[in-house]
Amino acid sequence: MEHIGAGLAALGVFGPGIGIGILAGMSAQAIGRNPDAAGQIRGIAIILAAFAEGLGVLAIVVGLLSIFIK
Amino acid sequence: MSSEQVATDVVAGASGDPPAAEPKAGRRISPRWVSLILAVVLVDVIAFIAFPQTPRGGAAGEACSFPACFIQNSLEFPAPRTVVDFDPSAEPPPPVGVYFHPSISNTILTMWLVMAIVLAGAILMVRGARLIPGRAQNVIETVYEFLSDFGVGIAGPTARPYIPIFAAAFLLILFDNWIGLVPPVGKIDLLRAPSSDVNITIGMALVSFSIFHIEGIRTLGLGGYLGKFFPLYEFRNGIGAGILALFVGLIELMLEFVKPVTLSMRLFGNIYGGEVALGVITTLTVSLIPVLLISLELMLNAIQALIFSVLTLIFIVLAIESHHEEEGHIAEEAINLIEGKEPAGLQPAH
Repeated sequence: MEHIGAGLAALGVFGPGIGIGILAGMSAQAIGRNPDAAGQIRGIAIILAAFAEGLGVLAIVVGLLSIFIK
Repeated sequence: MSSEQVATDVVAGASGDPPAAEPKAGRRISPRWVSLILAVVLVDVIAFIAFPQTPRGGAAGEACSFPACFIQNSLEFPAPRTVVDFDPSAEPPPPVGVYFHPSISNTILTMWLVMAIVLAGAILMVRGARLIPGRAQNVIETVYEFLSDFGVGIAGPTARPYIPIFAAAFLLILFDNWIGLVPPVGKIDLLRAPSSDVNITIGMALVSFSIFHIEGIRTLGLGGYLGKFFPLYEFRNGIGAGILALFVGLIELMLEFVKPVTLSMRLFGNIYGGEVALGVITTLTVSLIPVLLISLELMLNAIQALIFSVLTLIFIVLAIESHHEEEGHIAEEAINLIEGKEPAGLQPAH
């Protein structure tokens, strides 16, 4: 049962995945429009990707907890 | 020959035909690589026959079915092993929840090792620092300048005094993450990657939490800092504005306590998840495919270290800036606009 729960929790990675995809596409577009600001855009993109990814990691942690903590 | 083809040829030549890459038409993998791959597969097969896997905690010679039991063997459990126990007579820990047990775990032992390595490396590299840097000094200056530029570029010039904290946190966490990829670490009881243990990452996040609150109180004073969360001065503008500001302040106060949780869980989840993925892939494939995954993990671990330290830096900068100053700045700009003067200095965008 807990394995089903872990699998369901792992579905939470969908959202951050979409979010990071949009973010990466947009930042690539921004760098394409303004290559001079590439460094700044890259830094901001990494930080924002970290925020989006934090949510996905929370889902993974919930899945791991449901497996390992009985 | 088009320029694209030249570029791919140059890249392929520089990396010396990566083993997992498919041979291009008209190109063949060099015999050296083929023999290397064959040798690795041979060693795998010999090890597989000579040292059969047994279920975790089971007797030798017990049967171990292929995927599930093998994966179980290569997994690490979230809880670290205890190396030195100061209180062996304590009752066994509860299965769920936080408890205190005085002991040295393998993760904190590895962390001390990493600290010693980083410290010794840094001291050796800057020993006898000269105006014209030698090779070692050049390396560490390049690293420090990169970190300094990155931090100031993201967090603004007010972050400059805190760059040493940022750089130190980055280097420590970077090597904490990377040491998990060095083979004996994580496979023997004594050593394990520090940031794959949730206790260590929570400790790191609490250190960062203390740093940014202490810096906020030191810069703004206790009253000024508490004023960010309980903006009672807004009541001068009327009851409605006061209640609204108080509500916003309470939300900000709540977010302060979410910060260390997300910091620690992000680092732990990424590093531990990476190790689990690496273990599973190592179990299911031959030894050359995990090498590619290890190089991916090298990059991801570096990015996680950067994120943890940059977020610490940003939280410090957010903590030391006051609401009053911002308002005063806007008012100053408005006055300058009315009087037709240029603004005194360009303020960075936060």
